[in-house]
Amino acid sequence: MSRSVWKGPFVDGYLLKKADESQKSGRKEVIKIWSRRSTILPQFVGLTFGVYNGRKFIPVLVTESMVGHKFGEFSPTRTFLGHAADRRAKRA
Amino acid sequence: MADDEHRVCLGVVISAHGIKGEVNVRSYSDAPEHMSDYGAFTDEKGNALEVSGVRIGPKGPVMRIAGVGDRNAAEALKGTKLYVDRDQLPDLDEDEFYHDDLVGLAVEVQGEIIGTVSAVHNFGAGDIIEIARTGQKSVMLPFTREIVPHVDIPGGVLGAEPPPGYFDEPKEEDETHQ
Repeated sequence: MSRSVWKGPFVDGYLLKKADESQKSGRKEVIKIWSRRSTILPQFVGLTFGVYNGRKFIPVLVTESMVGHKFGEFSPTRTFLGHAADRRAKRA
Repeated sequence: MADDEHRVCLGVVISAHGIKGEVNVRSYSDAPEHMSDYGAFTDEKGNALEVSGVRIGPKGPVMRIAGVGDRNAAEALKGTKLYVDRDQLPDLDEDEFYHDDLVGLAVEVQGEIIGTVSAVHNFGAGDIIEIARTGQKSVMLPFTREIVPHVDIPGGVLGAEPPPGYFDEPKEEDETHQ
């Protein structure tokens, strides 16, 4: 059964504080966080977090479609280095 | 040996498939079903391999190669890498780049070369470039116009403007959230 609605989404308190500070300052910065378990909230859209995967910080640029997911989903702990072949990267 | 600098490896033959000369291919391509659209492949030695058909089988792409008519001939191709010329890949839109072109570029921050691009990732939150630094941990940068404003592929340089303190090691109190 999923988490009860009355409880609300879980977010670590320190992360909310850091995100608020970053939004108020208006600086472009990457907020380094360790809380992979926190839910991505709508107020995080547009911010870039560096989510720790146990070795390094993976940059996560939050978009609307990511709201409701956990930060850890976008920062894999095991990396497979595939072949480049004809793969493309798009600069956002 | 053909010049690997100007070729891109799109896959490798892993086994024969059936008795009619088809082969199973492990594809490195984004769209395996369109592998044959790039034209003829070449092997490591530069020999041409004309593809006469590609379909998606249970183990991935199954390819029919011209001149390979039975299982014995197909088995002889096991391990063959399939290359295409870099020029055969389609042109891209502005702000789109092939991973192959980005990997190996030097990364310049404030006029100083800090390392080279070792990989390009996408874990679901936008493209990320991984920078290998000599004697230090590798770092990842979001591949955005704001943070990576200059990409000079012919010049072999990528100009980055990371936020201040991005490469600094985090403080202990940050990690313990005190």
